[in-house]
Amino acid sequence: MDLGSLVQITIWGLLAGCIYILLAIGLNLIFGVMKVVNFAHGELLMLSMYFTFFIHEFFDLNPYLVIPISVFLMAFVGILIERLGFRPIMGTGKLNEIFLSLGLIYLLQNAVALIWGTGSRTIRSPFEFDSISLGSRQIPLDYLIIIGITMVLLVLLQVFLKKTTLGRAMRATSQNREAAMLMGINVERMDMISFGLGSALAAAAGALWCISGINFNPYIGSAPAIKAFAVIIIGGLGSIQGAILAGLLLGLAENPLLVLLNALWTETANTLTFLNLPADISFLSWQNSVSFLILIIVLILRPQGLFGERGE
Amino acid sequence: MKMSLIRSVLAFLVVVAAFSLPLVLRINSAMLEILIIMCVFIMYSSAWNLLTYSGQGSLGHAAFLGLGAYSSVLTAKFLNLSGLWAINVGGSLVLIQSTILTVFVGGLFAAVVGVFIGLTCVRLREWFLAMVTFGFAVIIHTVTLELKEITGGHDGLPTKHLVSITDSQITDPFVKTLMRYQIEYYVILVFALFVIYVIDRVLKSKVGLAFEAIRENELEAKVMGINTVKYKLIGFALSAFFTGVAGALMIHHTGYLTPEIYSVENSFRPIIYCISGGLFTVEGPIIGTFIITVIWDGLKSFGLVYEHLVIIGLILILTIIFLPRGFVSIPGKIRSRFRSGS
Amino acid sequence: MLSKLDRRFFLTALCVFVLFFLGCTQQSTDTGGGAVERNEIKIGIVAPLTGGMSTTGNDMWQAATLAADEINAQGGVNVNGVMMQIKLVKGDVQSDPQEGVKAVTKLITEDNVDILVGGFSSGTTYADSVVASENKVPFIITGASSSVITRRTDIDTSYFFHHCPTTDDYAEATLLFVDAVVKPLIYQRFNLPSNRKILIGIAYEDSKFGEGVYSGAQNAIERNNLNMEIVAAEKFKTGETAYQTVLTVLKDAKPDIIYPGAVLNEQSPLVLQGRRDVGMNSLFLSIECNDDPDYYTGVGKWGDYSIQESRFGPYAVPDRPVYKAAMKFKDDFKARFGSFPSMMGASTYEGVYIAAQAIENAGTLDKAAVRDELDALEMPEFIEAMEGGVISFSDDYRESKFLFYMEQLRWNESLGETRPVIVWPAHLKEADFVLPDWYEPGQ
Repeated sequence: MDLGSLVQITIWGLLAGCIYILLAIGLNLIFGVMKVVNFAHGELLMLSMYFTFFIHEFFDLNPYLVIPISVFLMAFVGILIERLGFRPIMGTGKLNEIFLSLGLIYLLQNAVALIWGTGSRTIRSPFEFDSISLGSRQIPLDYLIIIGITMVLLVLLQVFLKKTTLGRAMRATSQNREAAMLMGINVERMDMISFGLGSALAAAAGALWCISGINFNPYIGSAPAIKAFAVIIIGGLGSIQGAILAGLLLGLAENPLLVLLNALWTETANTLTFLNLPADISFLSWQNSVSFLILIIVLILRPQGLFGERGE
Repeated sequence: MKMSLIRSVLAFLVVVAAFSLPLVLRINSAMLEILIIMCVFIMYSSAWNLLTYSGQGSLGHAAFLGLGAYSSVLTAKFLNLSGLWAINVGGSLVLIQSTILTVFVGGLFAAVVGVFIGLTCVRLREWFLAMVTFGFAVIIHTVTLELKEITGGHDGLPTKHLVSITDSQITDPFVKTLMRYQIEYYVILVFALFVIYVIDRVLKSKVGLAFEAIRENELEAKVMGINTVKYKLIGFALSAFFTGVAGALMIHHTGYLTPEIYSVENSFRPIIYCISGGLFTVEGPIIGTFIITVIWDGLKSFGLVYEHLVIIGLILILTIIFLPRGFVSIPGKIRSRFRSGS
Repeated sequence: MLSKLDRRFFLTALCVFVLFFLGCTQQSTDTGGGAVERNEIKIGIVAPLTGGMSTTGNDMWQAATLAADEINAQGGVNVNGVMMQIKLVKGDVQSDPQEGVKAVTKLITEDNVDILVGGFSSGTTYADSVVASENKVPFIITGASSSVITRRTDIDTSYFFHHCPTTDDYAEATLLFVDAVVKPLIYQRFNLPSNRKILIGIAYEDSKFGEGVYSGAQNAIERNNLNMEIVAAEKFKTGETAYQTVLTVLKDAKPDIIYPGAVLNEQSPLVLQGRRDVGMNSLFLSIECNDDPDYYTGVGKWGDYSIQESRFGPYAVPDRPVYKAAMKFKDDFKARFGSFPSMMGASTYEGVYIAAQAIENAGTLDKAAVRDELDALEMPEFIEAMEGGVISFSDDYRESKFLFYMEQLRWNESLGETRPVIVWPAHLKEADFVLPDWYEPGQ
């Protein structure tokens, strides 16, 4: 394994991490304010891909210009889901929230399949053929845009939460709902805003991801969403720094770490032949397993996650 | 006293109905297949419900379903056991296979792994626990795939049936299959009834009370002197055991085992059944499995393909919003409506 | 605790549901097997109509409907002097073994189908074919690519007929082509010694299908004594979206050619990411199921010059007697369903015709007789080119042998997509294979 490849693989890891982070932070915002985990978050990402695709097709717009439109639309969809789905069951128990989102997964996935079919679709980016060269390797421009926009969104979010009245009210609600209510904060409005904001972040992730050239279908959301849950659990529920760190951690574990493990295994199997190890095991398909292994190890050591606070 | 009498009478009637279904009606294998899978899932959902009763909601219970199935099938394969005993049914020799015993090996193995997973989970609650159990299912799936020499990897394993019909005058393969399905239905039904009975006993015992205390408030339970770790592990072991038995029975009936048994779908199904039926009750999982299966397969037989999944999603959402205690609470709701009306 | 009234209510509700349930499942009145007096032939189509694989599943169902309607429009099937219409019944296996067993059991024992056609995904087919075997119902498998299906020993497979190439077949055709056509060009341009091995890198999906492609390539090299070596074989998660890491590892092994064991939604991102992101100036091979309009749309310009193995495709059709029938099938399918049929659709379409032919030959709906006729079938090739020009099932494992051809993708500026041209075998080819300028061999 030469160094150039390892650097390149690390970049692939960071890229995967960006998508996880955008999803996970949205989940975390919602959790912070409402104490609800929306398992159907990946379906919002998927919906955003379809919105982006159709708006792009219909108006023949540059797909990057469609992103704000999709984000806005999805924020609205998110608010709708909060109003009609989650608000009626707030406070009836944590299991109910998990189950409601399971219902949403079934509903959204199959409704999309019913309306738009299950075939895969792609969006062609205007920068499809542009890349930035890094010595002997190169990185497509689209990916740099993903990394760039993710960073900008993270900074904007920090500014929003720390500097604006609304953001402070949201943080107050996450810290202590009752106290916030007593202070005259309309917590139900905070619920709505946090859900809208969380959906918007998922929409941004979805739109960016599909413009970078992947194929998508109605079932694409579940895999990254489940990873985003792992991210917020590892990072600690409600913690933004935790989500960023854990997102990068998983992105790196699933790419460079697995590659190193793969190389190590082959080396061991070939040198220590007496162990009779099967040399052809390929660890590169173990992404999910390695993520959950990390999750389990972190939780055994720190049951509240890396940055989580003890108790609720 | 009176209440428990009615309860017993009712339970008895349902059991009689379950036993007479294949005899009273002109039944075919397709319907028996649905009934068999239903019985398996009643067992499975009840087992899942038992764990949830102790305050531990699992999102990866398919791990135990699969572990039970694989260990039972592999035991039967490596011990190369023959038929257990033969009975004569209407001129044909029905051989009860020893797989009927290896399912307990499946259950035991699942329970051992369950205790291990439970140990990593004792300090976790809610989402943390949910993700860890989900993760275990993913990891066990991957490991099963990689242990190709033992598990057959993606190729899976052929499995022995629970019973086989030998030495028969019946030449029509349809009738022969129907007969196997009928007998297997009864075998699985007996298992299901036994599991439900045991779970009912457990929930009514000291263990059940401890589960409830832990679920309501773990700290208080601890203060009251309940060994919470011990009871949580008991919950995991029992639930995994019954799930393992259910998985093994299902796969011996099917005749082929592939790693798809660890699917997310299989992990989520008991949740859907229990929620819609009514959590924390003995009859909830039974009613939920029954009603959802009827709707599911009913809609499908009308040719509604995606629609049936959309409808299941809607039912789930509407139940949680309007019937948080599940279908079992419908009679109570209606009664109170009547009372306030009259 | 609930009161007496509730219990009574519960019991009534239970009864209502039992009745509803029976209403749903007990539509047919005749139970049991054997030949029932009917004037229609029932064919069960076993396909994943919901779930992640439903695009292909629906294609199979639509192709089957087309075949059945064509046969019915011509008066139906002549069964011993009686003209019978074909009726298709859906069996949704959902790519899940348990659902598959349920669906096939329902087709066999409730809908009383005379024959089964379809079967998709090897894992599901392993399980649901147990039911078909036990009930001795002929099953024409048109969508599962594992050769194990008709070779397994735990059940009686004599009722299974495999009308779909196996992963071994694909790999063999592809690698023979590479050896005969691609290799000389590479060696000539780069002045490589002729005894140098062709280096192959394999990226395969973590499934029976992917493993089959990998072992198929190994078997093909061994069986034909090809001067080739697999320098890297890496597995990726089924349905993966990011292939960069796998491809970077492959690139490091420096292969001459990449053989992905990937299906439609995987192949196009894989090629795109390999060429663009990882910067591989290597040739990509592709499995037949990717010869689909969605692939050409998805892969865009990055697919230029890559190699496609095929037996039936949307754009290139070999100039053989089957040409006209194939074009007609494609046009009819497009006119009716608005899309191109996939390869699985084509073999399912043929499957229905094969079923009809076997029943006509047997002159009865008796399943054993139909099975024997399938075994003895000699039917002229239809919309796909077959070895020897006839569809017949081999004596040992009841597999039909397809003729493959290789295509190369060429960029078409006016369409904004690539289009395939047939480059092999010699008697079918439309153009010569071209080694692109950017190509770099491995070492």
